[in-house]
Amino acid sequence: MTKHLIGLGVLLAVGVAYPAIFPNNLTIAISVLLFAGWATSWDLLGGWNGQVSLGHASFVGLGAYFVAIGQSQFGLAPWWTMAMAAAVAAVLAYFWGWLTFSLRGPYFSLSTIAVAEILRLVAINEEWLTGGATGVFIATLPEPFGVDLFSRTAQFYMALAFATVVIATVIVISRARFGYQLRAVREDEDSAMAAGIDPTATKLKAFMLSAALTSIGGGIYGIVLAFIEPHVIFALLLSVQIALTAIIGGRGTIWGPAVGALVLIGAGEMFRTTFAEANMLIYGILILVVVLFVPRGIVGELARRHIRRLYAKRAQG
Amino acid sequence: MPNVLRADGITVKFGGVTAVNNVSLSLGSGEILGLIGPNGAGKTTLFNAVTGFAPMHSGRITLLDKDITALPTFKRTRLGFGRTFQTERPFEELTVLENVLIAAFLTVGRRSEAERLAMSVLEQVGLADRAHQPALDLNLARRRRLELAKALAVKPRVIFLDEIMAGLNPPALREMIAFVSSLSAQGLAVLMVEHIMEAIIELSDHVIVLASGEKIAEGTPHQVTSNERVIEAYLGTD
Repeated sequence: MTKHLIGLGVLLAVGVAYPAIFPNNLTIAISVLLFAGWATSWDLLGGWNGQVSLGHASFVGLGAYFVAIGQSQFGLAPWWTMAMAAAVAAVLAYFWGWLTFSLRGPYFSLSTIAVAEILRLVAINEEWLTGGATGVFIATLPEPFGVDLFSRTAQFYMALAFATVVIATVIVISRARFGYQLRAVREDEDSAMAAGIDPTATKLKAFMLSAALTSIGGGIYGIVLAFIEPHVIFALLLSVQIALTAIIGGRGTIWGPAVGALVLIGAGEMFRTTFAEANMLIYGILILVVVLFVPRGIVGELARRHIRRLYAKRAQG
Repeated sequence: MPNVLRADGITVKFGGVTAVNNVSLSLGSGEILGLIGPNGAGKTTLFNAVTGFAPMHSGRITLLDKDITALPTFKRTRLGFGRTFQTERPFEELTVLENVLIAAFLTVGRRSEAERLAMSVLEQVGLADRAHQPALDLNLARRRRLELAKALAVKPRVIFLDEIMAGLNPPALREMIAFVSSLSAQGLAVLMVEHIMEAIIELSDHVIVLASGEKIAEGTPHQVTSNERVIEAYLGTD
């Protein structure tokens, strides 16, 4: 517990100082932080609860569209529209989970692909609201306490706050009853039921929370992009990236998804600038290496070794 | 003796096969009911039907006079059922303590209190020194005791033990028999499916014998072991 709080402190300290030290590398840092938050939210359902979603772009998109449409069409400030997006994302997750959580195996994962696809089609076709295939543009934003939300620094701090809140949420949950219910359902549903746990209710709660948190990050992403297009925001690639970030970093670990974001997004950006065309190849190789040799993910593997060592020491002493 | 658990006319069908046919049983607190029968007799199916893991075709189940026939497994657990699985099913990625903690969280919301409850159950089953070991690393006898700890940590009124004696060496078997006996002494109602006759004869107040899904005999351990139909079911006829 203490070490996680220290980790959170380090994240905040580095984060607060970062814009002053690297004023020219804010965009990439915003990406890393948003992906850290999204992957950590994804992991609540995918890692801690074992229900792999390949549709989390849906919730990113919901957040982004709510903020963009709210601002451009109704003059609603982002904080209101983000809260609304979170509520709508949770409701969507509830209905989707209610329909699909009785399916065991890969069917839930497959069905989640459809969610983002449906939302993409809605966004393209409901032109009066979403601007159709051309998208929505955020031209103005309120200035709370004189802060310009279009500035990269302000956006960086929003992303930092988002990642920090999500990770803090997972730290709390990991120690609490709910966190253990999540893991019990992941490990063995029958055994979980024998312990009085309702597997479907547990999955629904995890999905709703995961969706709501993701959509808040999506709202920040909407501000960062300022221009939202359906095929970009509801892309399968984005859903897959979110899932991969958590998987490579370490599913069901507190810091895994954040580390995954640092490695994948950070390295991905470096590869893009250094290797140009070859970057997707290297990205692919990186993923293959992790899946083959570190199947628990980076942090997952480290944690396991640490526990083994601790136990070996105790057994000897 | 007032009934803690009653099951009337339990019938379970898998497609056209009747796995359990019209079997009734009842159990008072502190009582141990043994369920025996040859392989494939429907013992585990009956057990699963009562605990809610197998769907029933017909029958009625009451716990402390409350009809629980329609309730899903996890609600039966909340009302006072605890069970072990024939093949132990620990949450393998978690430690021994965390495994029991999950069950303890059913009645206790606060982490510190749930942990205290889990530790006391682990002490009861003799696994306290293994609390921080990954559950995956336990040997068979200890995995059995972990199953028991998980079943006890939900604070059940009735505990269902599915072949927890199987495969234990003689000293471990003696320990397990003594332990089950202590559970009934604490007032727990015990329903056990068991192949080890030594345990059945020593522990059971009452025994039900199943063969091909039918109840073919019931009574005290001595009554059933001298019953001709039972001997026939186990050994066959000449």
